[in-house]
Amino acid sequence: MRFFKNWQISLAFVLFLTGIMLMLALHAVHGEGNSPIQQKNKKLIAMIQQQEEELEQLKKSINEKRKALNNYQKSLSDGKLETEKLQYELDKLQVLSGLYPVQGEGITVHLDDNTKGKELAIQKNPDTRIEDFLIHDKHLLYIVYELRAAGAEAISINNQRIIGSSDIRCVGTTIQVNAERLAPPFIIKAIGDPDNLTRVLETERSQYNILKMAGFPVSIEKHSNLVIESYKGSYQFTHAQPMKEE
Amino acid sequence: MWVPLLGLLIGLLIGTVLNIPIPGVWAKYLSIAVLAALDSAFGGIKSIFEEKFNATILLTGFFTNALMAALLAYLGDQLGVDLYLAAVFAFGVRLFQNLAIIRRELLDKMVEKRQLKRRKGDNSE
Repeated sequence: MRFFKNWQISLAFVLFLTGIMLMLALHAVHGEGNSPIQQKNKKLIAMIQQQEEELEQLKKSINEKRKALNNYQKSLSDGKLETEKLQYELDKLQVLSGLYPVQGEGITVHLDDNTKGKELAIQKNPDTRIEDFLIHDKHLLYIVYELRAAGAEAISINNQRIIGSSDIRCVGTTIQVNAERLAPPFIIKAIGDPDNLTRVLETERSQYNILKMAGFPVSIEKHSNLVIESYKGSYQFTHAQPMKEE
Repeated sequence: MWVPLLGLLIGLLIGTVLNIPIPGVWAKYLSIAVLAALDSAFGGIKSIFEEKFNATILLTGFFTNALMAALLAYLGDQLGVDLYLAAVFAFGVRLFQNLAIIRRELLDKMVEKRQLKRRKGDNSE
């Protein structure tokens, strides 16, 4: 009798586990998106997401460390005339380098793809080049340089601070700024004299005016107090060294 | 007779409810393990008919076969050899052999029962 019980239970156990595994395997094989390419895509997407998360965390830690560093410097320089001077110099350089968020009067420039124009043009002629109705990297680049020429002291595109080494380039269907992918609508913030900035942007042959004439939905807003975020990336100088004075 | 079937049913149910997402890469190894598990289960059933059943052999065979099959398949993939085909072949052949033995044993038993009944009938007349 005991033997009889034994085979029933052990066989039941084996069949129980087999059943679980069978169902799991069936799910896995017949589940959606299991072709090798899709698997690879999923893996790659997961990898990208993981890297982006890590990047985000690292950026946060950079900001925190910069703040902490600043506090240390301030506490060190308190009361000492010489170091206070240095601290003033440092603050100026940090604003210049985009390491700190800045505020002041300025303008925001809104740029978006010309979807209406694109649809109209496609209705008239299906062979229209749709690229002609998109905001491209060079548009942003030109506008940034026009703003700089107009005396903008700090510029950001979709909250990506433009610094000396910022890149603005086309990456597939998106525009990469500071190695960060941006998508339309683009909002360019610039701190500087609002009237002057607007005047330069609206001159006849400026990139902004060209886009406006081409029917892109673009606009300029003046602000009395604009905040521009700090640069979140890092500065690395592996090749350039300060020249030694002899 | 009913306890193992019940076990199988509960297992199938739990497997459906659990719905653990298996990454596509591991699905193949799980399938091989399932094949090994099925082989063990049929082997167990066969041994009952042959009256050689041993719970220890069944359980150890079940776990080691499933694990080793998956591991060998994995190793094969790493080496670039389709070693999982060997597992499929080995387990597949044995599965069918065991099934054939089980079928024959069942048939034999049915024939025996019928003969017994007939004999009983003869005696009563």
